[in-house]
Amino acid sequence: MSSAPRPRVLVCDDEHQILRGLRVILRDAGYEAVPASTGEEALDLAAVRTPDAGIIDLVLPDMDGIEVCRRLREWTDMPLILLSAVGDEDAKVRALAAGADDYVTKPFGPRELIARLQANLRRTEPEPEQSVIVTGELEINLASHVVRLAGAEVHLTPIEFNLLAVLARNRGRLMTHRDLLVGVWGHGHGEDTQVLRVHIANLRRKIEPPESAGGRRYIRTDPGVGYRFAA
Amino acid sequence: MISSRLRAWRHLGPASSLRTWRHLGQRIGASAQAPAAAGALRGRRPSPIGGLAAAAIAVTLATLAIYPLRHIAPVVALGVVYLPAVLLIATYWGLWLGVLTALVSGVAFNFFHLPPTGDLQLADRRNWVSLAAFLIVALAVGTIAELARSRALEAESRRAEADLSAALAGELLRSEDTERALATTARRVADGLGLRSAALELGAAAAGPDRLALPLRDADGHQIATLLVSREIPADTEERLRARVIPTLEALVAIAQRRDTLQAEAVETALLRRSDDIKTAVLRAVSHDLRTPLTSVVAAGHALGTNSLSDAEREELSAVVVEEATRLAELVDKLLDLSRLQAGGAAPRTDWVSVEDLLAAASDGLRGPGPPVRLLVDPGVPEFRADAAQLERALANLLENARRYGGEKPITVQARRAGDRLVITVVDQGPGIDAAELERIFEPFYRGRSSASAPWTGSGLGLAIARGFIEANGGTITVDSLPGRGTSFIISLPVEGQPALPVSR
Repeated sequence: MSSAPRPRVLVCDDEHQILRGLRVILRDAGYEAVPASTGEEALDLAAVRTPDAGIIDLVLPDMDGIEVCRRLREWTDMPLILLSAVGDEDAKVRALAAGADDYVTKPFGPRELIARLQANLRRTEPEPEQSVIVTGELEINLASHVVRLAGAEVHLTPIEFNLLAVLARNRGRLMTHRDLLVGVWGHGHGEDTQVLRVHIANLRRKIEPPESAGGRRYIRTDPGVGYRFAA
Repeated sequence: MISSRLRAWRHLGPASSLRTWRHLGQRIGASAQAPAAAGALRGRRPSPIGGLAAAAIAVTLATLAIYPLRHIAPVVALGVVYLPAVLLIATYWGLWLGVLTALVSGVAFNFFHLPPTGDLQLADRRNWVSLAAFLIVALAVGTIAELARSRALEAESRRAEADLSAALAGELLRSEDTERALATTARRVADGLGLRSAALELGAAAAGPDRLALPLRDADGHQIATLLVSREIPADTEERLRARVIPTLEALVAIAQRRDTLQAEAVETALLRRSDDIKTAVLRAVSHDLRTPLTSVVAAGHALGTNSLSDAEREELSAVVVEEATRLAELVDKLLDLSRLQAGGAAPRTDWVSVEDLLAAASDGLRGPGPPVRLLVDPGVPEFRADAAQLERALANLLENARRYGGEKPITVQARRAGDRLVITVVDQGPGIDAAELERIFEPFYRGRSSASAPWTGSGLGLAIARGFIEANGGTITVDSLPGRGTSFIISLPVEGQPALPVSR
């Protein structure tokens, strides 16, 4: 038994096989699963066991996962990850609007799920501010505003730099269009997604030359939802 | 104007059979008679007043013409000079005016030329003969002309009737849908019979206070349609309608309806056959493509439960479960995409989309190892409105397809603007596709022949899904292949006018 308390993760799915699998996967990654098979049970357990994060299936027998997110969000800001299926684009968008932080498409690999969980837990327990973020060949110096790609300095406009900085600080986490617009331009610019896409495209041209396509990418697109920085 | 002229002619006209056709008269053109008689033989008979005037002039001219001729020939023989007048009038204005001209000619000849001139006594028996000759000629010519006229009228009316029948047949049989042809058919009937209006309805229709309902029946006596005409039509038009037009219409509507039924049955049969084909293909896919990975999963699961496993074996078996189940999941996703597309349930959720995002997302989603994908986006490519998630799945399927069949050589994806279209090409350098196969590769469950030998190939659904999502977003996809050189898929999507935003350098 480890001495430090393991972070607790509420897992809500009506499929017992999935709960069983997730319990093992979470235990293996150093978390403790708090399983619930209905929305009501999840809401109760969230209050009693005070988990650090939640993984919630979109389809539950008594209410939908979006409703669970909405009701949890009324009193807790723990990271919430939704399990969705391919083709549920509408539900994804509604879940994010209802307060979910991220989603994972079923079937998911344990590594992907754990990476999302860790990235989102970082939000509530921020790491000490790093002044330099290094990923692959990309080096971002948040203090001096210098970005290097394979050692060569890349010239970014202030907006492009801020965009990259917001993405990199939240690496691995889904940043919705709105998150990025508010983070870079401030409140009141939450709807102008077209401007965002143009700046992302320009940023990509500078840090991700075409030759890198298909290989490692720094900025990933979640179509219709947002972007995330490669973890 | 026409009807008043016709009425005048009716009072004068001898042949009651002609009366039946008087409405048709307006449509009748020149007959094949001698040109001189052609005018007379038109349905529009010359005015009788004009006839009287012409008769008077002709008789006067003949009478005057005889004076100089009296020095050349015996007077009695000169009676023939009146014959052209009688002929002319009888031909043009009919029997009765011809007889009248003959009588007047006789009287004029007698009065002006036959001795004793100046009175109407007939001194010579020969003079009676000439008068009788005039009358006989007038009667004969008038009768023949009348007969010719009535024959011509009849021929014309037959022709008009045949024209009408042909027109009706054309309307009813040429159209794809009988119901829609009814209005034009009714208009033809109205035009053909000079009716103000006519309507044709399938099934029984009720007569109204001002409209007459004439039932059309099929061979078994069932009412199949109703012809509705104004109650104010003349009795003889109605008679003609019932005797000539309705039987034709009955036959035509019956044929048209039967054709409709057969056509509907043919379409239904084709649909059934097609859905049968799809069901068979789905069944085949389910029985093979689903069962194979399932078998592997079940076997690996059992093996994992045995006691004598080394760590390496356990890892291997667990990898089998994950791999095979993932393949299964991908297939299920594709089947769902396809069924959504086929059920018409893939309405796009449109928003502004950037092609860079789209291509990046599609290539990010590629699983497993494979040849590299190069993305080339022209700087001038604008954003456009589409469903990003659907297009991403379309492109991901195309990339997956290119990686599977493109050998190990790199794949190039290029996006550029061409007028009001965005053109995305996905080019591989694989062995290419036979021309014979190009038509079929977009069909669900069709797999390239070159892939038959591979142990595991795609589901055969990727291109069908790609095409479905691209078309759902108003685009098109075509394929171009050079065997031995590679294959290009060309996607064309509509882009609306978009204010250009600055591109920073």
